[in-house]
Amino acid sequence: MRIMCCNNSAKQSGIETHLSLSTALALCPDLLTLQQQPEREKTTLQQLALIAYSFSPAVIIAEQGLWLELSGCEKLFHSYSQLLQQLQNNLSLCCSNIDMGVAGSADAARLLYQPGFRCKLPESSELERQIRSTSLSLLRVQRRQQQSFNQLGLNSLEDLLALPRAELASRFGAGIIDQLQLLLGEKPCQLTRFKPPVIFHDLLQSPQGIFSKQGLLFPMKTLLQRLSIYLQARQCYCRKIEWRFEPLIGEPSSMSVTLSGSQSNWSTLLDLSRLQLERIGLPASIETIILSSHDFVDGLPEGLDLLGDSASFDRALDGEQSLESSRLIDSLRARLGPEALQQPALGSNYLPEKAGKVVAPGEHQQLAVEHSGLQPLWLLPKPIAIRRHNQQLFWRQPLYILSGPQRLSDNWWQSDQQRDYYLACDAEGARYWLFKQAGTDRWFVQGLFS
Amino acid sequence: MPNTEIITKLLARHDTWRGQSQKPNQRSVSSGNDQIDLLLKGGWPASALTELLVQRPGIGELSLLLPTIKHYCQNNHLSVWLDPPYQPYAPALAAAGIALQKVLIVQSKNPREWLWVAEQCIRNNALLLAWSDNKMPSYSDLRKLQLAAADSGHAAFLFSTNKETSNKSISDNQLCASSPATLRLDIDSVGEKNLRLSVRKLRGVAPGEQLLIARGKDLSSQTSLTKLPVNSIHPAIPISTDIPPPKSREQRLNA
Repeated sequence: MRIMCCNNSAKQSGIETHLSLSTALALCPDLLTLQQQPEREKTTLQQLALIAYSFSPAVIIAEQGLWLELSGCEKLFHSYSQLLQQLQNNLSLCCSNIDMGVAGSADAARLLYQPGFRCKLPESSELERQIRSTSLSLLRVQRRQQQSFNQLGLNSLEDLLALPRAELASRFGAGIIDQLQLLLGEKPCQLTRFKPPVIFHDLLQSPQGIFSKQGLLFPMKTLLQRLSIYLQARQCYCRKIEWRFEPLIGEPSSMSVTLSGSQSNWSTLLDLSRLQLERIGLPASIETIILSSHDFVDGLPEGLDLLGDSASFDRALDGEQSLESSRLIDSLRARLGPEALQQPALGSNYLPEKAGKVVAPGEHQQLAVEHSGLQPLWLLPKPIAIRRHNQQLFWRQPLYILSGPQRLSDNWWQSDQQRDYYLACDAEGARYWLFKQAGTDRWFVQGLFS
Repeated sequence: MPNTEIITKLLARHDTWRGQSQKPNQRSVSSGNDQIDLLLKGGWPASALTELLVQRPGIGELSLLLPTIKHYCQNNHLSVWLDPPYQPYAPALAAAGIALQKVLIVQSKNPREWLWVAEQCIRNNALLLAWSDNKMPSYSDLRKLQLAAADSGHAAFLFSTNKETSNKSISDNQLCASSPATLRLDIDSVGEKNLRLSVRKLRGVAPGEQLLIARGKDLSSQTSLTKLPVNSIHPAIPISTDIPPPKSREQRLNA
């Protein structure tokens, strides 16, 4: 076991990186050590890469840090210093301590990294000077080669570059030439660039357990903030998010929040999740909270319309809901459950019980079905057979025909339906939509004119 | 010297109703019918709760609002139908020019949800049409909705069945109590062709003012109704035909 990194007070007691743990403990018996967690380092780097991804298209995750190619990205942010300033602000949400190095190539930047974040870029001549004066001990070469550098009196990169390349290659192997070319930017960087994953899956663990719905809100907020960073990086919005609350022992519970509009704002998502949380039962103590989403739609995030509100106007013409409407639909759905919300829709059939139906919000199809003639505003779920006494029709009250009939025939491919529709009213003036099955003497009431 | 300041403040509140005041009332939404606009001094009051006390469902109360719903939908507002008594018939709405994707039907499970949904809809600039029959909202519930409507600047409509006229049972009737709604309108049918609107409460309009409007002008009989095998004669209209007039209910039951 070796020391990977240490803080300043440890350094004062003589601890340095690569020391073995036993030596370090011998030097300083009170040393506090924490085990390295490669998995967590990886996920943190992934999160940072997501943030960096909205600043530069070329982000590379290295073993212990990130590389960003900034050239060409300064236009969007007006200048490099503004870009770096904003990058620092965004990164500092996720990590408290940033060290950085700037150079003309990825490898050189690694060599030049220094503690602290600087928002000002050095001049290119200054960069050149810095890289040339870099000590050779930082190069990634074998110990034997490092020793021969020393024996030859080669201290900095400048000394090495002064030598002819062919000689260097024959003496130290072709590997050193590759490294030099990468350092000087003569050879393009071959590392694979970071791409945001196609699904979002993130979790937070609370070893002490969470016992109340109130206590869940803070971790939920953190997860949703990460989701919104992810959505921003991918420039899309999500249609559905899924929550899963896992206890240490027992059955986990889960819920999903459906979104009908283009909202990737974490506070809206938190409000909706909160409304839904009221409705579900949770395990007594929750240890792991998982947020996942795999239903994404490409689109610009809010506030990035090129021409202001014209985009929302187009959406309205297309029959999509405005932002406000979809927000309302979402919060109603979160509180009441999906089954409580419906929208009327046209069906592709002339039989009234199929011509007008109700569907879940957002499941409309554009149908151009012509329905003419007198139509009621209320439809009974099923036609109700009504009684006839001598010559009097009855449904709750005696009914009187006002006008009709209107012949409607349809459904010939299944069970042929021929109906004569009439408008009727009762003694108090309420109007009904009746039909009589042609050829029979059966009367039905199907709707109310309201 | 009496302290008139308090009274002045009270009178300045826009929800203080002064029966005699004739000053033009607040903003309104045209109802699409000139006669109704005239009766209501401009149309349905905007940014206020309107209570429609219907004698019984099916007399034509909803068609009064169709132009308003259409107007709202055209302006990209949602129209939320909270607990409607029956399923709205989509082709009829489409024929009235209402964009179906702008209509949302919500079914609440209990009075608390009902109130929550109603308030959310009003506050989120949707046009609310709520049916309150088995929810029995209290005065303070309605006041909450009235305040929400005043804040949002949109009209909200509340349908309730007026049991007073149909049942004559006043004891369980909530509607006799006062209501914070800006407009309370009684709707009942007169004969089979007319609808009577009478104002119960509206600022600037004397209570009891009435309007008779015809409903459904498109009644066209394509056949000679007297040839039908069923009775087609409304009892209120004396018509001299060879078909005997309908018997009253008691007579039929005895027969």
